[in-house]
Amino acid sequence: MYELDMLLHGAQALFNQPMALLLALFGVTLGIIIGALPGLTATMGVAILLPFTFGMDPLSGLLMISGVFFGGIYGGSVTAILLKIPGTPAAAATAIDGFELTKKGQAGIALGTATFSSFLGGTASVFVLIFLAPVLARFALEFSASESFALAVFGLSIIASISGVSVIKGLISGFLGLLLATVGLDPMGGFPRYTGGYTELFNVPFIPVMIGLFAAAEAFKSLEDPQVRAGMAAALDRIIPPWYVFRRQLGNIARSSGLGIIIGMIPGAGADIAAFVAYNEAKRFSKTPENYGKGELGAVAACESGANGCTGGALLTMLTLGIPGDAVTAVMLGALTLQGLQPGPLLFKDHADLVFTLFAGMLVCYVMMLVVGLGSLRFMGRILQMPKSVLTPAILALCIVGTYAINNSIFDIWIMLAAGVVGYFMQKWDFPASPVVLALIMGPMAEANFRRALSLSNGSYDFLYTRPITAALLAIAIVTLMLPLLRRLWAERSGSGPSTINPAAGSSRMGTPE
Amino acid sequence: MSNAPAPGGKAGLRPQDRLATLVIAALVMAVAVAAIIVAGDFPPTMLETDVGPARFPIIFAVALLVLCAILVFNTLRAPAAPPDDPAQAEPKASYGTVAVGIVATAACLYAMEFVGYAIATPIYLFGLMWLMGRRNLIANAAIAAVLTALIYAAFAVALSVPLPVGSLFE
Repeated sequence: MYELDMLLHGAQALFNQPMALLLALFGVTLGIIIGALPGLTATMGVAILLPFTFGMDPLSGLLMISGVFFGGIYGGSVTAILLKIPGTPAAAATAIDGFELTKKGQAGIALGTATFSSFLGGTASVFVLIFLAPVLARFALEFSASESFALAVFGLSIIASISGVSVIKGLISGFLGLLLATVGLDPMGGFPRYTGGYTELFNVPFIPVMIGLFAAAEAFKSLEDPQVRAGMAAALDRIIPPWYVFRRQLGNIARSSGLGIIIGMIPGAGADIAAFVAYNEAKRFSKTPENYGKGELGAVAACESGANGCTGGALLTMLTLGIPGDAVTAVMLGALTLQGLQPGPLLFKDHADLVFTLFAGMLVCYVMMLVVGLGSLRFMGRILQMPKSVLTPAILALCIVGTYAINNSIFDIWIMLAAGVVGYFMQKWDFPASPVVLALIMGPMAEANFRRALSLSNGSYDFLYTRPITAALLAIAIVTLMLPLLRRLWAERSGSGPSTINPAAGSSRMGTPE
Repeated sequence: MSNAPAPGGKAGLRPQDRLATLVIAALVMAVAVAAIIVAGDFPPTMLETDVGPARFPIIFAVALLVLCAILVFNTLRAPAAPPDDPAQAEPKASYGTVAVGIVATAACLYAMEFVGYAIATPIYLFGLMWLMGRRNLIANAAIAAVLTALIYAAFAVALSVPLPVGSLFE
């Protein structure tokens, strides 16, 4: 088999270049640190390192950048699980159940599962990149504006299943997020909407909002309880999950990785979208969907394998067609051209040796990520042993600095603080924060692609049902949205629901104090 | 917030939760109405095939109004929860500390614009630690200085991400 032969030759060539391997290790380690720090994303990490690759040979430079990319996507999960600070947007979905597991004293297993899932998802995506690149690239090309709109709607339909105790409150949060997502420049005409004259609001400031809603709100909450203030959090327990526990996640990881790979290939859809979609599908296939949102290991495995599965998918369209799947691969595209390499089918023909050595290096990067990740978790877990009265101020300071780091803007920090205060009150009265973040990610994608598709079809709405992929995705979205509502109605009719229905919440919930 | 089950198996709402839910719904409805009014001033689209910049915000705002109306209806219809059993009552949350923490964060941001990260952050950290019950002033000062230095080292030194210097020192 041509690909396998080339891969083995590539591996041989790679191990003759120890400097390239060393730089890959540096990239992975730096990526994990960047991913773990709030406000610093994999995109930013790749952009920071790009100038350093000018003087390097193509393999070393590209491997180092790949290492930052892979490590950056994974690193976000560490602080998401330990502190509910999603280091990267992709880790916002991981934070939902990951932090709940930490509260239950299972941070170690959650972190270990996240590491193994990231490794498996990422490695699977690189294998797909190696063996199925041409076939899948053609499928990805079928995605035009209408399919991207349908994918965004499918992503938004997840709101119903991440709403927590009340679908109505979840939908209110989601639509509030969608309304917030319209702040900024109109995607078609460029007209500024709801910006109040502030140029800082020309783009939706979704990372400050995300940091505020998740991390700052949680920190404010820990200020209110005197017992928590004085207390010391639990130590990290075992890190490597028992085989009988992890074995149950393998199907979930395979499905989530596949979803991540496909979503990664679609231009404009990145690891954040993959993580949320994987979360929803894992919940739908789970035998215990009611545990999602309360600390379910399957949710962590799904989000991390989905997000890391995205890496190979995004690289696939970038390398085979020259179309970057997300912002990180857009920067990597720049790195490739700086090295004098032109992405596209000819890259595989003219520079096959380099490409397959790079693929072998990517697989090694994922092994490095697993080793560095597992090796550093015990150290990172010590964070949990800090007294809350030190940890909470440190989290708030990190929120401030991390938010500032995005655009070097104090204005962004004010937005983060406002989101933190709003998030605190939302948390108090059971309005979930995740739908707001999901809507901020998916909303602009849905609107821009809907309007593009409408223009492409000369103002006709036919594209909603005449294009098979669009119609299928929209149909699945409707089912996903309606299923929780129908389940609840069914539960009420069968008599198991009314005793636990809170009419104000519109959902089943016992009155246990939080 | 707790929604204790009411007699007869029906879950109920405590008066303060009912009031809070109604206030939040009213605020969200006010935001939605404001969004619709402002969207009325958006210019029409130049493209015949486009729906224009106002269509999506208006759809989202109308959906919010409908959802909030449902929430208000459900909240008003919900039975009252029985009074809390004092033996099982939750420990009283100290909202004053949260308010002071939020004000301190705002003050830190305001100060950071003038005096920069290096001065505003250690004072802020010191104050929060004191607010959270740590009364050892020397240890607090040392921890605040170390945390400030660590964050500075990670962002400004290792990753070359500039931190606010403050207008007084620029």
